[in-house]
Amino acid sequence: MQLTALQQDALVELLNIGFGRAAASLSQLTGHRVLLEVPQVTLQAVDEVGEALERVVQGHVASVHQIFTGRVSGDALLILDEAGAAMLKELLTNEPALPLAIDASAREVITEIGNILLNACLGTFGNLLKVQVSFSVPHLSIEHVGAILESLKIAHEEIRYALVVHAGFRLRDTQVTGYMVIVLSVASLDRLIHAVEDWEQSQS
Amino acid sequence: MPAKGENLDALGAAASKWFEQLDDRGVFITDDRLIVRRWNPWLAAQTGLRSSDMIGRPLFELFPDLVERGLAASYHDALAGEVRVLSQRFHKYLLPITRSFHGAGITEMAQSARIEPLTDDETVVGTITLIEDVTERVISERELRTQIAASEEARRVAEEASRLKDEFLATLSHEIRTPLNAVIGWTRILQTQPSVRSRAHALEVIERNAMSQMRLVEDLLDMARIISGKLRLKVDTLSLVDVAQAAVDVVAPGATAKKVAIETAFADDVPPVSGDSERLQQVIWNLLSNALKFTDSGGRIRIEVTADGANVRLSIRDNGQGIPTEFIPYVFDRFRQADASASRRHGGLGLGLSLVRQIVELHGGRVAVESEGMGKGSTFRVSLPAMADADLRPIYPVVVEPVTLHGVAVLIVDDETDARELLVAMLENFGATVRAIGSAAEALALLRSGEWEPDVLVSDMGMADTDGFALIRSIRALDSPKIRTVPAIAVTAYANPEDRVRALVAGYQNHIPKPVDANALAAAIARLVTA
Repeated sequence: MQLTALQQDALVELLNIGFGRAAASLSQLTGHRVLLEVPQVTLQAVDEVGEALERVVQGHVASVHQIFTGRVSGDALLILDEAGAAMLKELLTNEPALPLAIDASAREVITEIGNILLNACLGTFGNLLKVQVSFSVPHLSIEHVGAILESLKIAHEEIRYALVVHAGFRLRDTQVTGYMVIVLSVASLDRLIHAVEDWEQSQS
Repeated sequence: MPAKGENLDALGAAASKWFEQLDDRGVFITDDRLIVRRWNPWLAAQTGLRSSDMIGRPLFELFPDLVERGLAASYHDALAGEVRVLSQRFHKYLLPITRSFHGAGITEMAQSARIEPLTDDETVVGTITLIEDVTERVISERELRTQIAASEEARRVAEEASRLKDEFLATLSHEIRTPLNAVIGWTRILQTQPSVRSRAHALEVIERNAMSQMRLVEDLLDMARIISGKLRLKVDTLSLVDVAQAAVDVVAPGATAKKVAIETAFADDVPPVSGDSERLQQVIWNLLSNALKFTDSGGRIRIEVTADGANVRLSIRDNGQGIPTEFIPYVFDRFRQADASASRRHGGLGLGLSLVRQIVELHGGRVAVESEGMGKGSTFRVSLPAMADADLRPIYPVVVEPVTLHGVAVLIVDDETDARELLVAMLENFGATVRAIGSAAEALALLRSGEWEPDVLVSDMGMADTDGFALIRSIRALDSPKIRTVPAIAVTAYANPEDRVRALVAGYQNHIPKPVDANALAAAIARLVTA
């Protein structure tokens, strides 16, 4: 399964609208101007996501994981490498970062940022599909990037796909890139893509 | 229309019990119009607001500050099915709760919170809020951060010290090599072009450089002794004026050559101080040579000694290049030099002023420096505690009496050819009859044979095979009374007081450190043979 160029463009545009709102609430929260942009969305089989991610993030990563349920269901993750997580926390709170493993306050901050971004992204999809999406409590973990995706594969038997969203934060002249991975069943993905196409047509 | 959350009041008995017993965090429930429906005992205890006063009232009316802080949106998100986590760092707290935390300057409870939709059959019927008290965690993280900052500062200081040592080592090798260059260079010239015209000059340069290297090594040894706490003062009652005058006499020729005037102003009524005259002379000499080094031709240096109540004060002022203000705090630090660049105009190890401070402090005194900045000269001040009503021991100039060793038979034992030949030449100069031998075994064989009986033995200590300690012990155990009691002098590069004691204990009568001063050696031999 692959996204056409048209579908990709439409998804990028939609996500940027949702992220614009997320950036506004992060700016309000921190008192700094936060810019968020989605330059790229790709679709991959879950099995291949690990490989794709390991090309851009290495070693231990911080991931915020939320399960969503409703007419579309799946897993949503925000993944930041440790340096990115520390920098984001430092930029947003004006406080020197300790190693995440011993800094519960920093873990909370990353969890809240992940919560805002994941909800913005999935809220956009929910609005588009005119369905209500319910969320689990966000859970932060720090582990090797491979281990996170491994656990996603094990949990489900069915073939699933993942939308990998590159999210660029820009604040105080610094750029931090995070990656959102939205894992969907084939049926959910189908519904989403149709809705995206309808939206795209209604725009023109 | 009744709110969907009305039935929230009818929580099952088990759920109600759990809710009442949850005593480590705050929980409250609202209906879908954000009217408080449940308020757990923990919250009642922490806020002082009773459940009966809360239930049935709108949340934002009870806590208008939630709206002001933009948190109403989070409740509306929860009603739309979203979960909101609120970090302590971003929000500080959800509900204002007073909590004084002992000594930490905290008056408000630090909280993290979570706001979730409360659903009944996939329909959102209200919100549930969980509040956690994280005050202690925030305090311990703050402490950890302070500790990390402190340890980073400590690491920075250690790295700076290590950098200074590296710099010092680089300076040291440069400073040691510079005089060697002159010595080796001029020696080669003497070997290849022994013209009479340059000979005296060459020898003068060689001697000057050798002396400067010796001073360098002595400074290093002094510093090593001070660091290891082994510097001992030979304390006497003395006049600082005499010591200052002696130091001025040493520096005067150099000052004249550089066209720098030295003025002295010594008060008449200066009380004596208690100290080591050699060390105090070293202090003043170091300060004077420092002043001389940084004062250009045509400048002047003024040295004053005055009495000031319980102290004797000495000041040395120059109108030379001065000290940059930012360097003033480090002037007396070990290994520090204001200009550590490779193209330094002035030589030296940066040990002299550090030695000055250490020695002055060993005397119970203080040293300070002032300078109004670059080009404005500098003033060094030393103050030492004055002694009341003490007998003053005048410092006698050292009178070197002409020594002669005519008819004195000296046996020299040294396994190093150059050192051995130097000793022979020195002593023959004084008229001694000298035999030189390259090992302890050969020396012992000669003495045993009785073929030649020396009046004095001069032996090196650190020799291959049998060393000087073993040699003297063997000699002291010989049969012949004359040989067994031959006076002996140990000559050694080990110049510590401990080494001297070791040599004397082994059986030597005297100990002379290398590099050997010919006059001192001759005088020591003369004393032994006439004793």
